[in-house]
Order: sequence, then C-alpha cells, then structure tokens
Amino acid sequence: MSVFAIHPYATPSDAQALRGEVRAFLAEHLPDSVPARRTNCWAVLDPDFSRKLGEAGFIGMLWPRRYGGHERDPLERYIVLEELLAAGAPVGSHWIADRQTGPLLLRYGTEAQRRKYLPGMARGELFACIGLSEPGAGSDLANIRTSAMRVDGGWRLNGQKVWTTNAHDAAVMLTLVRTEAGSERREGLSQFLVDLDLPGVEVRPIIDLAGHHEFNEVFFDDADVPDGALVGAEGEGWTQATAELALERSGPERYLSSHVLLASLIDAAGSEPDAVLAGVIGRLAAELWTLRQMSMSVAAKLASGQDPMVEAAVVKDLGNNYEQALPIAIQAALGGEAQLADGSALADMLAMLLQSSPSFSLRGGTREIMRGIIARGLGLR
Amino acid sequence: MSEQQELLVQAAENIFEAIGEADLAEAWSAIEDAGFGILLVDEASGGFGGDWADFHAVMREAGKRALPFPLGEMVLATWCAGRAGLGVPSGMASVAVEVDGEMSGGKFSGVLRGVPWGRHLDSVVAVASGQAWVLPAQGARIDARTNPAGEPRDDLHFAKTAAHSAATDVDLRSCAALMRVAQIAGAADGALEMSVEHVNSRKQFGRVLAKFQAVQQNLAVLATEAAAVNCAGQAAALARDRDPGGDGAALEIAAAKLRANIAVGTVTSIAHQVHGAIGFTEEYPLHRLTRRMMGWRSEFGNDRYWAEKLGVRVARLGGTGLWHEITRRSDLGQPA
Repeated sequence: MSVFAIHPYATPSDAQALRGEVRAFLAEHLPDSVPARRTNCWAVLDPDFSRKLGEAGFIGMLWPRRYGGHERDPLERYIVLEELLAAGAPVGSHWIADRQTGPLLLRYGTEAQRRKYLPGMARGELFACIGLSEPGAGSDLANIRTSAMRVDGGWRLNGQKVWTTNAHDAAVMLTLVRTEAGSERREGLSQFLVDLDLPGVEVRPIIDLAGHHEFNEVFFDDADVPDGALVGAEGEGWTQATAELALERSGPERYLSSHVLLASLIDAAGSEPDAVLAGVIGRLAAELWTLRQMSMSVAAKLASGQDPMVEAAVVKDLGNNYEQALPIAIQAALGGEAQLADGSALADMLAMLLQSSPSFSLRGGTREIMRGIIARGLGLR
Repeated sequence: MSEQQELLVQAAENIFEAIGEADLAEAWSAIEDAGFGILLVDEASGGFGGDWADFHAVMREAGKRALPFPLGEMVLATWCAGRAGLGVPSGMASVAVEVDGEMSGGKFSGVLRGVPWGRHLDSVVAVASGQAWVLPAQGARIDARTNPAGEPRDDLHFAKTAAHSAATDVDLRSCAALMRVAQIAGAADGALEMSVEHVNSRKQFGRVLAKFQAVQQNLAVLATEAAAVNCAGQAAALARDRDPGGDGAALEIAAAKLRANIAVGTVTSIAHQVHGAIGFTEEYPLHRLTRRMMGWRSEFGNDRYWAEKLGVRVARLGGTGLWHEITRRSDLGQPA
C-alpha cells in the first residue's frame, strides 16, 4: 500500500545548459542583499529582480508566445525554479502570477483576460495575489462569506479577505467569493480577478511577528467589477480553486525555500568539520536529497497532465518539517560560542528562519489539512 | 516499472508466497531452483542480466513479506564474486563487509563479523580495502549471534583457511546498504497496509479507529515516511544503474540508507501505536516487519556511519558545490 505513486522523471536534454544559463543570470543579477533576505526567498519581494527575470524569459515559461510566454517544457521550468530557490533569489513579487494566476487564466480565462494580464505577468511587471482566507474561513475555506451581487454591467463585491500575501505589491487579486445569495459551503462560489486599484477596494497591512509586512487585509466595500472580471464559470469557483491547489502545493519551494541556510552552514563548517557537525550536515543532506527525488516525481506527474494532489501533500508536509527542523538542528549543533547576534551570514539567516519557519506549515494549507488529504488517500476518510 | 520488471516481481511474489512457511532447507532449494542467485549476473556470463532497479524491486517485495531467508545476500555474493573473477560461490552464500584479517600464502586468517545467516552458509564473499575473498563457511568457527528479529548475524572465525582472492572495485557495503533500503521500503509499506487494515476493522468508542482524526494523522505520517524510503530507494537504485558520478552511486546510496534508517523509528512506532496491544503479540504478524526493520537500521551502516560519511563528503563539496553535485548527477543520471 502506498499513497505516493513514483512517477518517472525524464530530464530535459538541455538540463545542464539551462542550469548554466540560470546560474549565469544569477551571477550577474542576484542583488547583494542582507543574508536574511535570501531565506524564505519566494516570500521576498523585489520587483526589479522580477522584471529582469521576465526579460530573460524565466517567467511564464510554459505559456503560449502570443501571450508573452515562452512555450518551454514543464520540467525546464522546474529546473529554473530549483536554481532560483537554491540560490535564495528574491522571487516573491512574481511567484504567484507565474505559478497560479497565469496558469488559471490559461485554463479558465477569456481571451480578453489573457490578453490583458498575461503579457505583463510574463514580463515580470504585473503581480498577482490570491484572496482565499477570511476572518471566518481559514482551513475551513468553504465557509467564506465575501459576496458578489450582479449589478448592471458587472458585479458588486462586499466583504473581507485576510492573510493575503503580497496584496500591497500586486496589481490584481484572484479571489473566491459567494455569487449565489443564501448558498452554503462549496456551492454558489465563483472566482474573480479584481484590479486592486478599483474604488471600494482597500488593502491594509498586517505586520508579522518578525516585524515584516507580507500579509494584508483586503476589504471590499461596494467594489464594482466589470463582467469581464469573472474567471471561468459562475458557480464553479470551488472546483476551479481546488484545481489550482495542485499548482500551489506541488512546487520545489515547499522544501527548497531556505536552502541557503544549509549552504551557509556547510561553508561555515569548512572542508573538515568535526564528527558532530559532519553528522548534522549528513542528515540534512540526506533529507534534502530525498525530498528532491520526491519533488521531481511530483513535478513529472504534474507535467504528464495528472493531478498529484496526495503526492503534493506528502512533499509539502515533509518539506515543511525539514525546513522547520533545519534551523533548529543547526542552532543546536553550532559551537558553544556561536550566538545568533554574532553578525555572521549564518547567524543572520538562522535568526530569521527560527522566526519565520513556523509559518511554513500554516501557509498553503496547514499540516493538519495536508495529513487529512493523505489520510483520505489511504481511504480513512 | 518496465514490463520485464513487473514479470520479475510477479515471479518473486509467487515464490515468496509458496515458501512463506517453509523451513530454510526447503525454501532455499525453491529459491535456488528459481534462479534468483544470478539476478545481477549479466546475460553474456549466463546470468539473468537484471539491473539494480530490478534488484531493488525484488528486495522490496522480500522486505514487504518479511522473507526470512538471505536471498539478497546471495544475489550480491554471486554478483560480487563473479565480477572479481572468482567464479560462482558454492551453495548458500552470503556477504561480509566487517572484515578483520589478512591473506597470507593463499590462506585467510581472521574474523568476519555480523554475517547474515553465517551458521547456515556454504560460502561467504567478503570485501575490504579493494580486495574480495570467497571463503568456505563450513570450516569456520561460529560465534552465533542474532539481530532483533532472531535472524542469524554470526561472527565467522577463520584460521589459515584456503581462500580465493582478487582485487575488486565493488563497494560491497554500499550495495548491501541499498539492499536494506529496499527491504525497509517494502516493510514500511507492509506495516502501513497492516495498520490501515487494522484501524478499518477494530472498533472503540462505538466506531472504527480509522474515523478518529488522531489515528488518521498518525497514519498519514507513517505513509509519508514509507513514501520517502520508497522514493529514496528507487532513486538510489536508478543512480546505481546509471552511475552518473562514476562512484557506484556512493552519494545516493549513503543518502538513501540514512533516510531509510531515520524512517524506521517513526514507521515502527506508529504501526505499533495504532495496533495497540494485539500488535505486540507473537501471534500477530506485525513484529515480523517491525523487528526486522529495527535490525536493518544498524546493518551495513547505521545513522552515524552514513551521516558522517555523507557529511564529510558534502563538506568537501562546499555549500554551493552540494547543490551543483546533486543536480549534475541527477541531470546526467536520468533517462532523457
């Protein structure tokens, strides 16, 4: 019995050349930022870096050329993502548009929506966020109450989204709202792509425990959107949004977002570490290597057109565990004199990840939700 | 899995099923008749011509059934001796990698430690320091020992025993570690299956255990660990076949055995936890899997052994070098 179908991964023939291209790009354009900004790097905003990535053809890689895309292979894109994450590149600004919003528009969007949004997204200039959670709907997403009522020429939105990552940096929000008054749970929901500069839309910051601004509250107060803002079919929002989750949860960012911390430890340990440190590095490397094999299998399954829902939950859960154990294991193994405030790159990253990593098993579906999905895969629920 | 590999695994399943309750002599003759010993020997040399992915698939099946015979050890012994030009070891053969002794004038004196099924063997293939020996086991003095599952792990003492020896490039410990990874992968899936069956039938508080969230979440963790070992094992076997690093997949096997070892603790504890007291009886078959996994965790490299080995290697690569090395090896080592 197994919940993880191992899918054969066929390396693109230009894999090594493509890695070389990305590494050359990074050598030239990776900003010289403080070390902490290289951790959790798909949450780090850098619009300038995103624009350069877009120019180099590394955003919208799978999308048709007529929408500004590059018509590359899914596993080529996977290689580019791996390289960006492993280097700690600040890819937060465009990440959601590239990973989710763009593909969703290609699947469900109208021609007008694709023409309006995709080219800017592929250039790394037009950023998106996702409005799912609400004050009364977190893990219980089907409890959302934000509504859209038909008005002349469009829809009127009222309600509130919360924990919306990057809403302050994004031009558009893909949001899930209730379009059928009186509907309950998964029925009567629809997706809208809302321009965040419309009247009646207000974005307010939520500052996290480390003093950073990633989250926001987004309020809709009689915000009118045109007919053309509806994505896909009215009432099909739940199905569309859950199809998107395979894209959200299956990527290498779920285990590779903090690889720079491990790399920094290895460099700090030097070429002849003592047995304790060698053992810690060995364990972490084994976990990293194994997670990569699993992630590649998920990527290959996704690339073949299948939905790796359960496998993605497995990799996300294991990846979250690894990324949370990583700073703790390193803090425990460093020499007795090592302090978090010693000013070294390693300490800087470590201090940041000790604080930020508890959120990894919350965002994108909590640990409990992931394990619930796996349990369903086992036929237990 | 290729069609040929599926047929091979099917054949293995059939034989394992047939010899499930047999004694060693009877089972061994069935295994020999089936020709599993030559699984890894190439066809030109009269073998089956299987690859390491095939070996992994068969040993995974053996692990899942807690097969209490040294099948994998014999496959490795036969392959290793043949590769070193030492012919086919006679009768029931096993492997040894803990070697403390020396050859002098064509005779071996010393001890082989922890040899699987040592007391029952006809011959044993040992590798250390780039040298392979084929030794007749029946002349050895035996210190009988067992692993937690009660399987023989004996010390074999030799005094001036005539032996064949040759230089070899085989890293037998790595190959044997890969065998244990495959067995742990199968046993973990087996323990998962048994656990799911149990929680679907056992009722407490008026409903089956499967309906309790706490039980569901625990089994999700067990399933996840089992998936990790299976992925690691299969990837390491593939790397051993394609050998992109030119070192017999030393890095991949080190990582896979270490990851498998780490999984054993979680897998065995959750499987027993959800079974409750019934899983702790001699009668119930769960212990056949869990006690074997507990032993396999130590064999052919425990956590410390592989963690230090891998850690030292990674330290030499450096922080960026680690990422470059694992990506380079997988880019070159996958089917295009």
